[in-house]
Amino acid sequence: MKRQELVFEQPTALFASTPVEMDHGARDAVRLLVTTPSGHQHATFADFPRFLTAGDLLVANESATLAASLESHGPSGTYTLDLSTRYADGLWLAEPRWDPAHPGPMPIQIGEEARVGDATVRYVAPYPGIPRLWFITADRPLEPILERAGVPIHYGYVQKIWPLDSYQSLFSRVPGSAEMPSAARPITPKIREALEVAGVRFASVLLHSGVSSLEIETDTVEAQAVYPEPFQVSEATAKLVNRTREAGHRVVAIGTTVVRALESAWTADGIRPRQGFTRLFIHPGNPVRSVDGLLTGFHDPVTSHLAMLAALIGLPRVMDAYREAIANGYRWHEFGDSHLILRT
Amino acid sequence: MAQSSNPPTHAQAERVALITGASRGLGYTVAEFLARQRWTLILTARHEVPLLEAVKRLQATGASITAVRGDVTQDRHRHDLIAAVRRIGRLDLLINNASELGASPFPALVGYPLEVLRRVLEVNVVAPLALIHACLPTLKASKGLVVNITSDAARGGYPGWGAYGSSKAALELVSKTLANELRDAGVGVVAVDPGDLRTQMHQDAFPGQDISDRPLPEVTLPFWAWLEGQDPLRVTGQRFEAQGTVWEVPA
Repeated sequence: MKRQELVFEQPTALFASTPVEMDHGARDAVRLLVTTPSGHQHATFADFPRFLTAGDLLVANESATLAASLESHGPSGTYTLDLSTRYADGLWLAEPRWDPAHPGPMPIQIGEEARVGDATVRYVAPYPGIPRLWFITADRPLEPILERAGVPIHYGYVQKIWPLDSYQSLFSRVPGSAEMPSAARPITPKIREALEVAGVRFASVLLHSGVSSLEIETDTVEAQAVYPEPFQVSEATAKLVNRTREAGHRVVAIGTTVVRALESAWTADGIRPRQGFTRLFIHPGNPVRSVDGLLTGFHDPVTSHLAMLAALIGLPRVMDAYREAIANGYRWHEFGDSHLILRT
Repeated sequence: MAQSSNPPTHAQAERVALITGASRGLGYTVAEFLARQRWTLILTARHEVPLLEAVKRLQATGASITAVRGDVTQDRHRHDLIAAVRRIGRLDLLINNASELGASPFPALVGYPLEVLRRVLEVNVVAPLALIHACLPTLKASKGLVVNITSDAARGGYPGWGAYGSSKAALELVSKTLANELRDAGVGVVAVDPGDLRTQMHQDAFPGQDISDRPLPEVTLPFWAWLEGQDPLRVTGQRFEAQGTVWEVPA
């Protein structure tokens, strides 16, 4: 697949900058675009339960969001250091930025040091194929510094720093994501109850999301380097997913992170329990076998997430859905509207 | 012979690695990645000049580097290496990376020169095991991890790759067996297949061919970063592909 195929015109007026509950009281006040083989339907998120039926399985990500953005002081002055993924004690993958709105590239040298809270971090090596990301080593644990001084990672379209709670979902349990697994944000306790009453079941996986969806820079999508993320698929979840599909019901992932985790645990015999780091890049050359649907947000042009949607339902239907979303003013990004994609 | 510099001064506990075949290619790349994290390194390679050049570059990182030139198949050289390990008194990571490709271009196994086969097995199987023997007391005391570098040739049965491939297959079984034998002693042993890389060794395997489509050894850095974070006893006995899709931790 060519990079160019994932380009579309995205009006910046459609960027959501405020959690919907700040203005409308409830998280499920966002809109919901439902894409099925027969076309698109417009709804609000409160209608979500009626698109699923008894026996369907929703799979959520239990990863909670860290306050992963830190102020850093180095040779380039004061800048933002967003932690992406913890690899080992004191060894992280991180993204230095001029500030939340300005990604750089920063003139970082290998071996350069910076002060972050009471820690000194040193730039060890750029990530192979993704030079904006760096392995950094710290002289003391960064976790306590995140708790004291970190804020949620945010970008230029979010002018205000919202409380960390705005970045957690009903399913957030294990801290570790740099960026919010945001697809589950609109699911309120009331909606979960309605789903349970309707006979829809829930399962969970763990995948600690790194910094934001990668923009593809290579001419062909498949050639883009992608960074790995820690994941875990439990035996209980593997069984539930396999049984749901054997019974002819649908498995619907809540978020692209769930698709990455489940696909990383996929074998010819279905899902098996598995944990570790996954580098799996889901694009049309790498079809999705484990899920029948995906609840997600709206993704930026030329991103790896968009390639995943194309793998799920084919690029023409993705682009058709995005034309529909733009024409109807759906809102983009982590505080934006929802998109339910059903393959059948 | 041995040379040292830059004694460690940082607050973090000292971590020590011994890497064979460290003057270039994958061995050098991993050494540099660890040196930049201020690991203390003991490095060996056969050729003096490239080894000294590598040490010079690595010392610029501020890490403490000891280099010992020699051939890992020689008792005397291994003796020098273990003396360096004992002087430091700690060994968290032993990477058996030095490998012998054998005759190039690759003769078929049916006509393979037996003296070359013996050399391949000596470098790729016997020497790593002998080095593990020698390092074992320090590895046990440090609850360390042994990494034996392998190849997909260990499993492929590729025509022409019989000598190198069978030596790596043997090394993989050595790794798996040692993992079981050393678990109670707290020492982990893994086999790591780095995948195809743009290195001199890979060029030697494909003489005259353009290998510029292969990635540089830096492509494996995320794997080494991940491996650093693993408890040796959680991953022991596993075979990892540094360029693979999933780095799995057994349940």
